[in-house]
Amino acid sequence: MAANPITESGLDLSWLNLYDDPASAVPGKKGLTLKEINLGRYGDAARGAGDMTYRMRGAVARPGAQRFGPTYMSKSDVWSENCVMLYEEATQRQWSSARDIPWDTLQTLPDEIERAMCQLCTMLTEVEFIAGDVPGQWMPFVSSQDFEAGLFLMSQIMDEARHTDVFRKRALANGGGLLAQGAGLGLRTLLEARDFTEMSVLMHVQAEGFVQSMFRMGELIGQTDADKKIFRMSAQDESRHLAFGVMHLKYVLDTEPERREELHHYLDKAEGDAAGGGSGDVTFPPVFESLCILLGGGVDKFDEGLQKFLLLRKRQINEYVHRLTVAGLGDRRDRLGPLMAQFVDPI
Amino acid sequence: MTAKALADAAAGSQPAEIPQEARDKARELGWEDGLIELALEKGHSLQVVWQALRGNVDGKQAKDFLAGGEAMVRDFAWMKVPTEWGIRARASDSEMGLTIGDLNVGTYGDIPDVWTNRSEIARGSFPNPVNEDMGYTIFDKAIIWADCVVPLYEVAIRDRWVSATDLRWASLEELPDDMERAVCQFLTEQSDRAYFTGALWSGWLPEISYGYHELKFFLSTVIYDLARHSEAFRKRALSNGGGLGLQAPTDFSRAAKEARSFPELAAILFVQDSMLLTLFKNGDLIAQNQLERDMYALVARDRQRMMDYHIERMKHFLFKMPDRRDEQNLYLSKAEGRMVKDWADPVVSEPLALMLGGGRDQMDPGQDKLRALRKLQVEGYVADLAKATFFRTHLNGRFQELLA
Repeated sequence: MAANPITESGLDLSWLNLYDDPASAVPGKKGLTLKEINLGRYGDAARGAGDMTYRMRGAVARPGAQRFGPTYMSKSDVWSENCVMLYEEATQRQWSSARDIPWDTLQTLPDEIERAMCQLCTMLTEVEFIAGDVPGQWMPFVSSQDFEAGLFLMSQIMDEARHTDVFRKRALANGGGLLAQGAGLGLRTLLEARDFTEMSVLMHVQAEGFVQSMFRMGELIGQTDADKKIFRMSAQDESRHLAFGVMHLKYVLDTEPERREELHHYLDKAEGDAAGGGSGDVTFPPVFESLCILLGGGVDKFDEGLQKFLLLRKRQINEYVHRLTVAGLGDRRDRLGPLMAQFVDPI
Repeated sequence: MTAKALADAAAGSQPAEIPQEARDKARELGWEDGLIELALEKGHSLQVVWQALRGNVDGKQAKDFLAGGEAMVRDFAWMKVPTEWGIRARASDSEMGLTIGDLNVGTYGDIPDVWTNRSEIARGSFPNPVNEDMGYTIFDKAIIWADCVVPLYEVAIRDRWVSATDLRWASLEELPDDMERAVCQFLTEQSDRAYFTGALWSGWLPEISYGYHELKFFLSTVIYDLARHSEAFRKRALSNGGGLGLQAPTDFSRAAKEARSFPELAAILFVQDSMLLTLFKNGDLIAQNQLERDMYALVARDRQRMMDYHIERMKHFLFKMPDRRDEQNLYLSKAEGRMVKDWADPVVSEPLALMLGGGRDQMDPGQDKLRALRKLQVEGYVADLAKATFFRTHLNGRFQELLA
């Protein structure tokens, strides 16, 4: 019987002589992070051209390696200068909806308040569903040359699963249940994107930005310590997703300024769709009404809630404009859709 | 809603043009021309007008209200939808906390054999009469489901680890050059494979409908685990005087990428994931220091969850769709053949033999040990298939030789 090539072959050992520049990354204050190994020919600054294989940056190309289908070839297509740090932060700040939320602090709430909270959670469950699918959709197109961006997106997929589960848990843990499905939440826009940067500016910057602004009002929306902690922990995660998007947009505008009008075009469409509500639209009536009830403190305080809701919208829009300005798209202020423009503070 | 409240709420807002979408909606609801402008003139913000339109306030109601009539009464229809109400899910295991399994009570725990809703609706909520199709393609429980994903999701979160701080990087000591290069070559391959597989699973997530959210949650943990494995392996390769070697062979991974359906994908990855689980469970055989032993043990713990899913999914699938049993042989044959090709690559086998043998001058005993390890992997794979009630009649010949 011929030798089994799996285990018996004439020795080659050529792989022992592939490089002569030993790498010895040293752990920093936060352990051995991606930052410490981002060195020399392995660093993002030494990124070579993508080859549509899954060759990790710095690995030696294999003759005969097959392609795996189209991936982005240019760093600016997916890169964000903070993705190295954000991935490590994500690993350090994972939390458990099962054990880190003080579920025992839930207390029976007036029926209308519980229903409002459950309606909000029903909507947020849907929003977070899509926020997990969207980065998944783009992962196969992220070149391994920019693997840190890919790692970050994989951590985001985990975060969004946790967000989906925590809002479902909240809806089913305090004598309530799920209520009406959202409609016209603008979520399909995120799946319809046909470019990574289009997706990122719509999802990370706009949609997650709006959600983040809302979560940061969680102290007003939440009725119990458990509710408030859910919003706090989720906001912490959303901050990373948002930061990735802002810095990706900045990277694109810095390195490919000719794309500015194209990016405005995506936002023109998105701000127009859902009449300015954006993705994860809180102006959808059941969400709008439930937020007004929660912010006001009851159906009989709906008007107080409405005023706080308008403050929330104002905050969402102004923070959105600020983030775009940080990314280098400050001129967006003058092009906002009418339902957003009404809230912008004068300079 | 009172007029005063509306006026107060409008305060501070900027005057804005009226979007065409608002005009169209107003026309649809029978608002007279000029009524939106009148509302704005009376101090109501565009946002509040828009909320009235989205809330389907009709033309007569709007006109009466603006003429000084009574506040409009909201019906809060969403409060009255006929979903199951009164649920108080409680942790069934205080150590695990409130798990997603604890939520599967009443109708919320009804996981249907076929999910028919094409939107992102949460299971158990009240559907809209009309929805856009969100593009999901997988609606059959039989294809994807395994009961174990419900507890495994929470276990994955409980057992999370951090490569940066949970591995003792400062403990690394210099290895002989050939050994360091072998470790690094092995980890270059594994980092590549883990990243690829994570990206591959990620791409399948948007295909799966939301009737089976627990499965999507579990796959999210698999994806995150694979990200961590990829970076942990890379860190090890770049931290002890070595470097990245030759990229992984592409034959097996291409087979996984070529899958045209979820069952095909899962069958192909069954082969790799079983083989890699055995490899990492035996990580002590190739580890050169405590850090590597710890790393391989943590990776094996993660991979055990993946394998538990594969086994139970295939068992469930074959039970529900027995007519598709023979078809699985096609995918397994393809996957085994591609794996044999990858294993036969000297850049895959030699680093393992060198690590197992203890150095470049110990390649003969190293190859003997590799043969034993490969045998163990194939035995484990056949056993995993058996647990899934699948018995290969034509196991790849090279694998068969190892078992002889």
